[in-house]
Amino acid sequence: MSSAAPSALDKRLTRILLLIPYLLKNPGTTTGELAERFGVAEEVVSEDLQLVYVCGLPGYGPGDLIDVSFTGDQVFVDTADYFGAPLRLTPAEALALYAGGLAVLELPGMQEAEALRRALRKLGSALGASAGRESSVEVHLAGGPARHMEVLGQALRDSRRVRMEYFSASRAALTERTIDPWGLVATLGRWYLVAFDHLSSEERMFRVDRIKGAELLDEAAEVPEDFDPSSYREIFRERPEQEVLSFEISPETSGWFVDAYPCRSVTELADGWLRVELVAGGRAGAAALLLRLGPHVRAIAPEELREEARTMAAAIAARHRA
Amino acid sequence: MHRIERLINLIAALLDSPRPMTAEEIRRRIAGYDQPTDEAFRRAFERDKESLRAMGVPIEMRATDPFSEALDAYTIPRHRYYLPQLDLENDEVAALRIASEILLGPGERAGAALLKLSLDAPPAQAGTRLVWGADLAAEQPLLAVLYEAVTQGRVVSFDYTTATGAGARRILEPYRLLHRNGHWYLVGRDRQRDAIRAFRVSRMKPKVALSDDSFEVPEDFDAAAHLGEAWQIGEDSQPAVVRFDAGMRWWAEQNMASSPLREAGDGLEVELPVGNPDALISWVIGFGGAAEIVSPEAVRARLLDHLAPFLEATQA
Repeated sequence: MSSAAPSALDKRLTRILLLIPYLLKNPGTTTGELAERFGVAEEVVSEDLQLVYVCGLPGYGPGDLIDVSFTGDQVFVDTADYFGAPLRLTPAEALALYAGGLAVLELPGMQEAEALRRALRKLGSALGASAGRESSVEVHLAGGPARHMEVLGQALRDSRRVRMEYFSASRAALTERTIDPWGLVATLGRWYLVAFDHLSSEERMFRVDRIKGAELLDEAAEVPEDFDPSSYREIFRERPEQEVLSFEISPETSGWFVDAYPCRSVTELADGWLRVELVAGGRAGAAALLLRLGPHVRAIAPEELREEARTMAAAIAARHRA
Repeated sequence: MHRIERLINLIAALLDSPRPMTAEEIRRRIAGYDQPTDEAFRRAFERDKESLRAMGVPIEMRATDPFSEALDAYTIPRHRYYLPQLDLENDEVAALRIASEILLGPGERAGAALLKLSLDAPPAQAGTRLVWGADLAAEQPLLAVLYEAVTQGRVVSFDYTTATGAGARRILEPYRLLHRNGHWYLVGRDRQRDAIRAFRVSRMKPKVALSDDSFEVPEDFDAAAHLGEAWQIGEDSQPAVVRFDAGMRWWAEQNMASSPLREAGDGLEVELPVGNPDALISWVIGFGGAAEIVSPEAVRARLLDHLAPFLEATQA
């Protein structure tokens, strides 16, 4: 079974195969309500319905074709009993929803956790899982102690400011900061806090496991209206104020690197190395990344980043000589 | 005629027909299969079957002649097509909606799943601000078939390349499919080695075969115990000691409570089983000088070698 990204045709057919059973169960639904439920424009619903009534069973006469009729903007579907229930979930859909559910359960203090556990149980048994194997999927996200996640969750729900003690890799020291939390984003297997940091006066991503202590303040946090967690999927994502890094990586490294980090550009060089450009989430994180590449990276720019990496390398090496 | 009409007609006919239809009947009776040549029909029909199966439509083959073993006709069994009645309560649908929204990346699939499950529930309320997001890399192509294997208890075999580059065919009784450290792993009993092993899904080759051999998952099986941090994963594990200095010891106390810890001056030492020294080096680098590999000596030396390009450049 393939689970490559669904094509436009897949998505349309999937929607139509849902639209028909929905209308059989809910005759008279308006095109506006259908558009809202299926998350598409009203014109898209109309086009789908126009397609449906030229389809049906062999013979393709009046009693064979799917009957679609309108009363005002209300829609009725008939002679399509065989489409009476939706298509079952594909394994890829089931896994995505199940894994999402497990990620939600990693967030402490969710009121919906109990209902979600019930739903996942029903889901597991309905998906053809053999008895006892419903919970064969696990999701582990590193987030440090539950009490910090609880404080952050509370702060996000109530839009409140937080004071925290945080280990800063660039300063190699604990720092005390006041932050306005915007969201919690899990990527690369761990939770990050996205927040406005009053210490640096800029937006930052903090590793939750590097928070030593967190305390809810009585002040209200300012959260941008258009905050969108999906734009934080990659730590090295593009933001206008941040600098572009460029360096070359060895052929041994290039296979996984390009998958793991969203490169702005990738150029193959004559000797098989790749020149990549990406946007840094922070210089300390970028320096640590370069050190991890070790001998598999060269030609680093800008100079300040190379300097930062050298300083960090010197600090680490000093502890390992002797 | 649009291809999508032909696909809907094909599903409708195969779902509705009381008996399986041969390719010849499909060509003659179903609207959209009137291609000018046999070859053109074959191509169109093959392509359609493939697309529909990829979407999860169960097109199956049957024999029209009960005394023949030749499977020459097609059907869509209703019980395998229809979503079973789940009787989800409204609060359960609402909770699943949160589950579908938290996913970053493959959200489209979770969204499609949610629509199927929520046909009987009130529609979503618009305008709630999302403050959570999780990228679980759940769009990897092999996960779907591994999910089937692990939930249905079927033995899997696959070609696998280890971190050190050695490749071999593995036969595994899959116990758990698990996301950790940002990667998906399949954990189970490796039949040839007769031992529990963890395999990274991204290192499996695309041809994964399922067999119907049955097996039991040991009760209280703890997958996480077989799959720790990235540095633990590897065939030959050796103990390593990492020292956190006074300013960083809280981190180890907070996050590594299950490992053996001991006082070392004003710092703290942690003993770790290490199967992948390079992953340990990568992990220690992340502490930027606040952590030190105390032993083994060879891994210490390897860390210095690894950093050498950055150190030489300073001296030059």
